[in-house]
Amino acid sequence: MSSPILEIKDLHAKVEDDDKEILKGVNLTLNGGEVHAIMGRNGSGKSTLSYILAGKDGYEVTGGQVLFKGEDLLEMEPDERAVAGLFLAFQYPTEIPGVATMTFLKTALNAQRKARGENELSTPDFMKAVREAAGNLDISSDMLKRALNVGFSGGEKKRAEILQMALLEPTLCVLDETDSGLDIDALKTVSDGVNSLRSPDRAMLVITHYQRLLNHIVPDYVHVFADGRIVESGDRELALELEQKGYAAFDGKAA
Amino acid sequence: MQDAIKLSPAEQTLLGHLRDAGDDVAAQRFEQSGLPNRRVEEYHYSDLKMLLRAVPEARAALVEQPGTTVAFDGVARITIANGALVAPSGLPEGLTVTIEKAGPTTGSDPMAQINAALAGEAVRIAVAPGADVTLHIDRRTEGEAALSADQVAIEVGKGAKAFVVETFGGSDAAHMVNAATSLTVADEANATHVQIDRQALAVTQFVNNRYELGANANLRTLTVNTGAGFNRVNVFGHFGGGDTHADFGGLNLLEGKQHADITLDVTHAVPDTTSSELFKSVCRGDAKGIFQGKINVAKDAQKSDAKMMSQGLLLSEGAEIHTKPELEIFADDVICGHGATCGELDDSALFYLMSRGIPRVEAEAMLIRAFLDELFDPLDNEPVTEYLETIVGDWLAAAAASEGK
Repeated sequence: MSSPILEIKDLHAKVEDDDKEILKGVNLTLNGGEVHAIMGRNGSGKSTLSYILAGKDGYEVTGGQVLFKGEDLLEMEPDERAVAGLFLAFQYPTEIPGVATMTFLKTALNAQRKARGENELSTPDFMKAVREAAGNLDISSDMLKRALNVGFSGGEKKRAEILQMALLEPTLCVLDETDSGLDIDALKTVSDGVNSLRSPDRAMLVITHYQRLLNHIVPDYVHVFADGRIVESGDRELALELEQKGYAAFDGKAA
Repeated sequence: MQDAIKLSPAEQTLLGHLRDAGDDVAAQRFEQSGLPNRRVEEYHYSDLKMLLRAVPEARAALVEQPGTTVAFDGVARITIANGALVAPSGLPEGLTVTIEKAGPTTGSDPMAQINAALAGEAVRIAVAPGADVTLHIDRRTEGEAALSADQVAIEVGKGAKAFVVETFGGSDAAHMVNAATSLTVADEANATHVQIDRQALAVTQFVNNRYELGANANLRTLTVNTGAGFNRVNVFGHFGGGDTHADFGGLNLLEGKQHADITLDVTHAVPDTTSSELFKSVCRGDAKGIFQGKINVAKDAQKSDAKMMSQGLLLSEGAEIHTKPELEIFADDVICGHGATCGELDDSALFYLMSRGIPRVEAEAMLIRAFLDELFDPLDNEPVTEYLETIVGDWLAAAAASEGK
């Protein structure tokens, strides 16, 4: 059997200038083809986990290990992680004035291809790939002409994240509250986009605090995250149970 | 009358040049005041008495075959080398170039006064009324280290349209260049003036720009300091006719120990005029970028509208950016504002770009280009914008190379 895509072993972490531990021993393994959902309250440390996986500054890992396809992920720079096949769909995608969306997409795609020793994509091939992916996500050409994420609505930002994911073809997709700020139609469009990327060579980690998203992106495993660690794991049914009983039943705190 | 002060060796040399030029009034004035120091408000961040350690003994002499800083595709070029006009050819219709005696300066700026005393001749460029021209003025200082002073006077006739790009370049000797450019924009005329410093690092440069605006006119300026080790650019703007708008812009793109200072003084002297001022500094190494901007609104200049913005990007611990906006308003029905920002590259933007596989150096370059776009985009002249982008690209590549990445 091939090695897992992601192995998180007893991961402890804190904010750099603060002694308070945020992650308190996370254990999680994702194999190819699997979709895992992490559910938890606001402030339980879910987003911190996603930032640490992607390599954002400002956090300090105090213990444990993260292996990405057998390699030490925590040793890599954020761009190296992306080249290795990790993609984080941001909860709040950053607006970058002055950087055209198309220029950004082409730079990112070709930077990854170059780092992997592949040829850069020609402009017509690139345009074709973008048009196809954009069409599937109801992204207008007008949106692509704007500066990156600038003036995008909440829904447009999330769709743009999935567009990038589709173009970059990562092996691990981490979706951080991709459902927040989406109306019902947009949720369906985005979920369809994510589902079309499900494949045996790819794993997904879907972070959310609502069950609703999981009606569209049906996970193989569900984990309840509380106070910096996974407190309960199960299948799809766990998410439904969680919705009925509330988080208090799992983390012992009042709702 | 004040007593003569003790002059430094550099000041002594400069005084000698003023005497040689035969301008006794200027020489006497200089002997009494010397170079401006930090106590002179306009030179607070560029204390010339401290900073100017040497002035070349030689005056720039005539050169036979000056080089070319850059050739803009399809754009007519006039070369002024070591202060002398190189006989121009192939000038577009509607453009007249003549040489006349250098004009006296109209302001009180000491370096502009020195320019007026030293520049023997002025190159006068007239754009005929109604004409539409694009022109490159290639100002060069060639040969061994020398003191060079020259003047260009551009007159854009009524209803004419002119795009003028000036470049400063030359040999890599330790020249001291003192240049003056005046641009008169007649009624209903439209002018763009781009000035690009491509001097060698050893050069010390002073540039005095004076803009005089008529009624119903439009002006856009951009001055870019990036080559010379020391650069001081004065920008004087004067609105003399109503319904006129001007956008003043500038950039200090610096590294190493470079020092560049843009000091702006704009006067809305008549009613119904508007202006914007956008000045940016990008500094790395131990470089120092300075912008001082003063907007004056005269008593009768009602409905003046001016928006001044200064933005700085610090790319290293040792870099410095100083910015000082001033408003002096004597009219009561005006809209004037100023803002200033200064900081490092946005961490979250950098992380976002890197999280998509873009290496740090390239991500930083994208953000720096994005920061500068606002200055280059409105020029609406492809060869010039491309040239500026090449300069920025080379600057970024040099930065990346020196960081060993």
